[in-house]
Amino acid sequence: MDRQGQIDFILDHYENPRRKGALLDAGASAQGSNPGCGDLVTMYVKVDPQTGRADVTFDGTGCTISQASASYLVELASGKTLEDILAIDRDDLMGALGRDIVEQRAPCAALALDTLHAAAHELDRERACHEIRME
Amino acid sequence: MLASSSILRTLDVQAVRADFPILSQSVNGKPLAFLDSAASSQKPLAVIEAMNEYYRTTHANVHRGVYTLSERATELYENARKRVARFIGAKSSREIIFTRNTTESINLVAQAWGRANLRPGNEILLTELEHHSNLVPWQLIARETGARVRYIPVDGQGVLQLDGLDALLTERTKIVAFAQMSNMLGTITPAAEIVRRAKAAGALTLIDAAQGVPHLPTNVQELGCDFLAFSGHKMCGPTGIGVLYGRRELLEAMPPFLGGGDMIRRVTFEGAEWNELPWKFEAGTPAIAEGVGLGAAVDYLSGLGMDAVRAHEREIIAYALERLAEVPTVAIYGPMAPDIRGGVATFNLGDIHPHDVAAVLDAEGIAIRAGHHCAMPLHEKFGLTASSRASFYIYTIPEEIDRLVEGLYKARSIYKKAK
Repeated sequence: MDRQGQIDFILDHYENPRRKGALLDAGASAQGSNPGCGDLVTMYVKVDPQTGRADVTFDGTGCTISQASASYLVELASGKTLEDILAIDRDDLMGALGRDIVEQRAPCAALALDTLHAAAHELDRERACHEIRME
Repeated sequence: MLASSSILRTLDVQAVRADFPILSQSVNGKPLAFLDSAASSQKPLAVIEAMNEYYRTTHANVHRGVYTLSERATELYENARKRVARFIGAKSSREIIFTRNTTESINLVAQAWGRANLRPGNEILLTELEHHSNLVPWQLIARETGARVRYIPVDGQGVLQLDGLDALLTERTKIVAFAQMSNMLGTITPAAEIVRRAKAAGALTLIDAAQGVPHLPTNVQELGCDFLAFSGHKMCGPTGIGVLYGRRELLEAMPPFLGGGDMIRRVTFEGAEWNELPWKFEAGTPAIAEGVGLGAAVDYLSGLGMDAVRAHEREIIAYALERLAEVPTVAIYGPMAPDIRGGVATFNLGDIHPHDVAAVLDAEGIAIRAGHHCAMPLHEKFGLTASSRASFYIYTIPEEIDRLVEGLYKARSIYKKAK
């Protein structure tokens, strides 16, 4: 994608956010912020106990890159297992959003991913505790 | 709208611009419009060359060697101190302490004076306009000593409400510390009046002049303040050097801030005797080249004349406020009267996030600041998390304001949904 295509991609996610809104029966949620600029996101994760696949949504306010990143990420993560979600790394995210556009704004771009990982870790810990108890 | 040419009466701005090599470059294919001088100003050739020359021909440690180079380095460094003293009207260069920056200067007073003088129940009076660097050092020393921090409020335009000042000033008030100009809103405070009223109540005064000394004619004897703090890098000088002016009797009575070399007269294994002023407060090898650079910056600004600097910035801010107000959905913060406003234009563009505004402008070669500008409590007071800030200096031209306004229209067209 060329630079303008990448900008349009980001603007589209910002103006038409995917899977935006609280997930009321989420197994875990986490809130992240960049106090310096006022970016705020909450990531909600629910895992289907049968399939092990996740349902992911977000809510938030802030700059284009922080919100577009969250919108892109919830689409990417939904349907994946917790392990696969935890394996998404910053570098892949930057590449998908357009490195030369977001690299100066890395904290904005990475906010949703760090927050999603915090929620996924919480679920992962709970699951581990549950398995220990079952044994 | 002002014609571009009418702004250039007091300062030969094109000649000034030619002194700043960094300004003649392109950024993202567009001529650079540097509108972030409140964060840090650019440097004229005179400053760059003074530091270059110092390193090429003169460098050695100061106040130590009995050899020629060290004596010459010491002379250059101490001459810079004399020029700074003259620039702000200090009685003696002994009243000029070199620090790293405004922040360190304020911390020096809060720690060295505060620890020796503040008691539980004492009050430190600040204002709601303050930069974090004139808030946090006082909050720290208040916690340590049991003193309490109080604030002079601002109104909706960011102007200090001084009606209640006499009620805030009591026998408990030990020091009043306030900005000469707000870094977020550009508000110029009535510094001499605040000092006079604080003195009448028996309190000391500290002026955070980080945005004052670079932009306004400043004379510490006319102001009557006890302490005044500012940074070199916001006034055409290098980073890494700042100034604390203090009245001599107060500095003499204060214990040292940092311990080490250069600040002592005699050391034994049991203790030490302090050096005389100003070196008592300058532990360790100082920023010598930066001191030389600051001396050159002071000469440069003196050459332009601080009255001319202020007159230019007054016209530029008047023009900027007028042009920004034309843009639909722009909200401008701070006083709208150029007489009480420095070259700082803070605004938001509809509901477009300030980072996004700054990113669109950057693509046009225009550098502005977006964020909370180290004034989070003031943003909260205005119900904001962040804002955009364009700030001006001696090299700012009306064409740059025009480009800023065009850039805002461009941002509006990219973010069509912005209301």
